[in-house]
Amino acid sequence: MVTIAFPIRRGPGHWAASYAAMLRFDLAAQRNLLPMFLLMQVMFGAGMAIIYGFYLGHLPRGAAVFIVSGSPALAVMTAGIIGVTMMVTERQLGGTWDFIWSLPAPRSAAVASTVTVFTLLALPGIVVTLALADWRYGITLTVSPMAVPALLLSSLMATSVGFGLALLIARPVVTNALVNALIFIVLIFSPVQFPISRLPLWLADVHRVLPVYYLAEVLRASVTRGLVHDTALAYGVLGAWTLASWAATAWVVGRRR
Amino acid sequence: MTMIAAPGPAMRRPAPPERWLRGYGRMAAWDIASLRLYLPVLSCVLILQGAGFVYGMGLLFADMPQSAAVFVSTGAPVMNLITVGLIFEPQLVAQQRMQGSYEFLQALPVPRSAAALAWYTVALATALPPVVLTLLAGLARYHLHLAITPMVIPAVLLTCLTGVLMGLAVAHGVTQPMAANLISVTLIFVMTGFSPVNFPAGQLPGWLASVNQWLPFGSMATITRSALVPGFADGVPRAYAVVAAWAAASALVVAWAQGRRG
Repeated sequence: MVTIAFPIRRGPGHWAASYAAMLRFDLAAQRNLLPMFLLMQVMFGAGMAIIYGFYLGHLPRGAAVFIVSGSPALAVMTAGIIGVTMMVTERQLGGTWDFIWSLPAPRSAAVASTVTVFTLLALPGIVVTLALADWRYGITLTVSPMAVPALLLSSLMATSVGFGLALLIARPVVTNALVNALIFIVLIFSPVQFPISRLPLWLADVHRVLPVYYLAEVLRASVTRGLVHDTALAYGVLGAWTLASWAATAWVVGRRR
Repeated sequence: MTMIAAPGPAMRRPAPPERWLRGYGRMAAWDIASLRLYLPVLSCVLILQGAGFVYGMGLLFADMPQSAAVFVSTGAPVMNLITVGLIFEPQLVAQQRMQGSYEFLQALPVPRSAAALAWYTVALATALPPVVLTLLAGLARYHLHLAITPMVIPAVLLTCLTGVLMGLAVAHGVTQPMAANLISVTLIFVMTGFSPVNFPAGQLPGWLASVNQWLPFGSMATITRSALVPGFADGVPRAYAVVAAWAAASALVVAWAQGRRG
C-alpha cells in the first residue's frame, strides 16, 4: 500500500494566490458577458438620472442635483445585486457552480474575486452618470477622496445581498424573478433619488433602519457638499449592516450540503 | 434494409386543424405543468411591479398633476402586459438552453404556431390579474375615474401578443442565453424610461419622440390608454398599425429562428 500525503495549503500567501487565480478565472469566464453588463450598468446609472427628468417634465436644479447624486447608488446596487445573481444563477443552470465551488481555492477568495469584478463594474456607470449630468442638466459634481471607502462599503453591502439570495434560493429562475422584483421595489420605494421626507412616515421610519437609504447617503456625500447632514451615522449604519449581511452570507457560502 | 427518408418539401403540409388544436392544448397543458411553481411567483412579481410603480411614481412628485397620474396609472398595466412576454420568455428559454432541454422541446411533434399560441395563452392568463390589480391600485391611489370601452379587449390582446412575439424573437433568435437576457432587460429599460408609456411624448426630446413613433411601446400604451380614458390619446389607428406591424415582424423572426438548422 502506498500512502500519499497531500499538504493542506493555508495562510495569507495561499489566499492571495487563490484570489488572483480566481480573479483571472472570473474575468476569463465572463469575458463575453462583461461588455454587455457594462452597458447595462451605464444604462441603469446614467439612464435613471435622465429618465426621472422625463417623468417630472420640468426639473428644478435642486431636484436634478438630488437625482444625479443618487445615481451612483443605483449603479452599485444593480451591479452588486443583479450582476452577482445573474452570474451565480447562470453557473447553477449550466452545472458549473459545484465545480467552481470545489476548486482548490478558499471560498472566501472566490467570493472576494466576484466582489472585486462587480465593484469595478459599477465604476463606468458612475463615471458616465456624472458626465451625462453635466451635459443634460448643467450640473458638475466633484468626486471627493471619500468616494473610495464609500464605493467599497456600498459594493460589499450590495454583493452580499446578491450572493445570499442566489445561494439561498434553490431555483435559479425564481431567484431571477425575485431579484428583478426586489431591485424594482428598492429603486422605486427607497429614498435614493428623492428626499426621505417624501415617504409616508412609517416607510421613512423603516428606511431609517434598513441600509439602502444610508448606502445612497454615503455615496451622495462623496460627490456633493451640504446635501448629507449626518455622514458618520450613514457610514456607521451601513457598516453594521454590511458586517451582519456578510456574516449571514458567509454561513451560506460555507455550508456543505 | 428499410430506409426511412425525411419528408421533403412536397410532403411538409400545414397540420390539419384537429391536429393543430390538439397540439395547442397539449402545449398549453405542458407550459402550465412545467411552470406551475413559477407562474404564481411571476404573477406576484407583476403585481408588485405594477402597483409598486403606480404608488412609487407619486413619491417623485412634490405635487403630482392629475394628467401625470392618468399616464402612470394607465401605463403601468401596459408594462405588465409587455413584461410577461418580453422578460420571462427569454429567461425561460435561456434556462432551457443552459439545462440542455431546448432542443428536446423544439423537436416535439407539435406545430410551432400552436406552441407559440399556447405560450401566449398562458402568458395572457398570468398577466391579466396583475393588470386589473395595477389599474385598481392607480384608481385608488389617485382617485381617478375611467370610462372603459370595449376596445380595451383588442388593445390588451394585441399588446400582450406583440410582447410575447417580441420575447419569442429575442429568445429564439439570440442563441447566447445571457445575451438574450440582457437584450430583454435593455428593452424593458427602454420601455420604462425612454418611451412615452408612463408620460406624454412631449416630455421627451424631439428626436426621441420621433423615434418612438416607430417603436412599439408608446403605441401599445396609446391603444390601451385610449380604451380606458377616451379622448386622452390621439393617433390611435396609426398606433394599432405600428403594434400590429411589430407583431408581424417578430413572428417572422421567430419563424426564421426556429426554422434554421445548426
